[in-house]
Amino acid sequence: MIPMIEIDHLTKDFGRIVAVRDLCLSVPAGEIFCFLGPNGAGKTTTIKMLTGLLRPTAGSARIGGLDIQRDPVEAKKLMGYIPDMPYLYERLTPEDFFIFTGDLYRVPRDKVLEEREKSFELFGINDYRYTLIKDLSHGMRQRLIYAATLLHEPRVLFVDEPLIGLDPYTIRLIKDLLREKSRGGMTVFLTTHILALAEDIGDRIGIILEGRLHALGTLGELLERGGGRNLEEVFLKLTAKPGRL
Amino acid sequence: MSASALYWKSRRQFVNGLKSLRYQSRFKVMFVCCFAAFCELGLLLLFMAGFRVLGMFGGIGGFIVGRLFSLFFLGIGMMLVVSGLVTSYATLFRSEEIPFLTTRPLSTSRIVVYKFMETVFFASWAFFFIIIPYVGAYAWHRGLPLHFALWTLLFSLPFLVLCCGLGAICVLLIVRWVPRGRAWRLLIIGAIAIVAAAAWAYTHRVYDPSADARLNLSRVIPGVMLASNILLPNTWVAEGIMSLTRGEWFRGMMMGGVLFSTAAVVFMGVEWIGSLLLYECWQRTLVGSSGRTGTGRFFARLEWLLRPLKPDTRAIVMKDVKTFFRDPIQWSQALVFFGLLGLYFANLGSFDYSILGAYWVNTMAFLNVFSVSAVVCSLGARFIYPQLSLEGQGFWILGLSPTSMRRIVLAKFGTALAGMLSVSVPLMMLSAAMLETAAAVRVTAVGLACVVSFAVCGLSIGLGAVFIDLKQRNPAAIVSGFGGTLNLVLTLGFMLAVILPFGVVFHVHATGRMVQHELWRGVFMATAWACVLCAGFTALPLVLGIRSLHRRDF
Repeated sequence: MIPMIEIDHLTKDFGRIVAVRDLCLSVPAGEIFCFLGPNGAGKTTTIKMLTGLLRPTAGSARIGGLDIQRDPVEAKKLMGYIPDMPYLYERLTPEDFFIFTGDLYRVPRDKVLEEREKSFELFGINDYRYTLIKDLSHGMRQRLIYAATLLHEPRVLFVDEPLIGLDPYTIRLIKDLLREKSRGGMTVFLTTHILALAEDIGDRIGIILEGRLHALGTLGELLERGGGRNLEEVFLKLTAKPGRL
Repeated sequence: MSASALYWKSRRQFVNGLKSLRYQSRFKVMFVCCFAAFCELGLLLLFMAGFRVLGMFGGIGGFIVGRLFSLFFLGIGMMLVVSGLVTSYATLFRSEEIPFLTTRPLSTSRIVVYKFMETVFFASWAFFFIIIPYVGAYAWHRGLPLHFALWTLLFSLPFLVLCCGLGAICVLLIVRWVPRGRAWRLLIIGAIAIVAAAAWAYTHRVYDPSADARLNLSRVIPGVMLASNILLPNTWVAEGIMSLTRGEWFRGMMMGGVLFSTAAVVFMGVEWIGSLLLYECWQRTLVGSSGRTGTGRFFARLEWLLRPLKPDTRAIVMKDVKTFFRDPIQWSQALVFFGLLGLYFANLGSFDYSILGAYWVNTMAFLNVFSVSAVVCSLGARFIYPQLSLEGQGFWILGLSPTSMRRIVLAKFGTALAGMLSVSVPLMMLSAAMLETAAAVRVTAVGLACVVSFAVCGLSIGLGAVFIDLKQRNPAAIVSGFGGTLNLVLTLGFMLAVILPFGVVFHVHATGRMVQHELWRGVFMATAWACVLCAGFTALPLVLGIRSLHRRDF
């Protein structure tokens, strides 16, 4: 399969602290890749380098064959990014934000308007379409950012902690949506602390510890390698460290 | 399409903001609008009175008025550069919008241009509140035609872009290349001090008394030489507007052409330097300054000094002090504030008041008390009022802690008062000494500084608690709301109410219409009035604030 995300010896240090060390990874098209690790392991730093927010100290990353540092604008056209605490313009309404996102990605206005109705219906935003974003709840904001991010049909989707603060209905909705999109060819790269989510939807799982990729494989491969009954046991075993429970 | 999307978004935000006014209290909106109109009218009348007084001096007055237009734009220009510096740092490096835009398919130069336009707007809109009444009063005084306003507007816009652009370029260069070590920082501060001292020495050169009137005038009004320098943009603006108003089209157009082309070059410079440096600068700010605060020893000493306080009160005070010093937006604005004060003091030292009569000496002394008190009110409005709101989403930590709201509010009040007194009292002493005022006036001025500081801190903390806005993270937005405006109105009103009686008593005495023992009786009564007012304006808002916090859900 064609790799949509290629990470080549990626390293990032913040002075004396090395957040990511010599990371090499390849994620093919249509795969849901779950990136796990304890707090401070380097998950968010990795995702920030992959989306162009952080410049790597060494190494490179390619999205759909385009180097994110050398060809950032073209690479960003191929991807979507949903951070754990997304920034949204507080004085825009969901309608405004949707149109704005469409224009940023140069999606034809007809398509934006058509998609807006479908997405608002799907994510249950219809009743809030004219409410200022500053007055929306966290869950409703998350739904809006999902709707807007998927508008330009990205080929690669980065999601940092996708289920924070969401109700069970929205969690189900997001899980189904990610599965459906990956079946349609979208590559999903997500970081999470919810191991059940990785077990549930992840095609492959990577475990990062102290900036290094510690384990990589399908759920079955990891269970076999770690010798545990479930991902939680394997994760705790692989990331065990004196002083850490 | 993507660039226009950004401007479409800004327009929508503006329109939505206006629409949301419908859901605000009508009284609140009216109050803020009336206050703004009242300030504009007050400034207009003040400028008109100033021009009238200058007109009374005859020939030299006319000469000064002629130079004032250029001097005014020099002052505005300097403030705009500083405002552009602070605002562009906030828009480029503190805005949460930058990470959002960086992950979208936008080139760096587009982001820079968009954020620069935002900088120009935020850094300059308030200056129109000064420019409009000044220009109105000037036009009235000189009997200028209506199209003078049009030329002023046309020349002001490129001038804003030029000055803010210089500020933005400075920020990009500073963030990219200024080293972070303490020694380097001290070296740079030293270099800036040397440059400032050299500039000071240049503007205060001893001139040959036989030289022309402009040189002699420059001893009375510092900066008049600088303001008339043909190489500076403020001269192009002033000369251009006046030439076009007089119908000297060629000269006016030439000045306009120079101004527009220079502004365009600066704009292109911002785009070019920004596209080269923004990402690099941003990475530098992301790497962070944690562990490099450099003020550890200062905080340790302060904590040692605060040992007599109860641990929870000490914790709140220390948190506030640390937060203030670690927030570049807060302390950089404080630096700007004190920079402007430095200009005020530089001017005080230039005037020779001793040759004036008793009427003017007393008037100047109390105008100075008003000025310094107004500075105290502005400090209270800008830095103390937002303190409680800036606790933000973290207020629940204080709310859940085993500390009473009373103690939280009083700790904030104490911290604010200590800071305010350490600024207001030395300022008042220094300015009174520079004016060589009488001992009694000096003691009164320092006493008034204390009284105003108490009331300003009480009002700002108390009203800050009543109108607390935990969702807002921008201190400027907190200040410009209803509570902030009300606070400013009340503090300014209090200032007038306590200073005027003293001013009147000393004025009547200075003009020989009151004997010595009547003066002391008058001073005693004014002191009693000031103390009663101070107690009310300090205690009442604090009590209301504490009650309001008790009733709140967090």
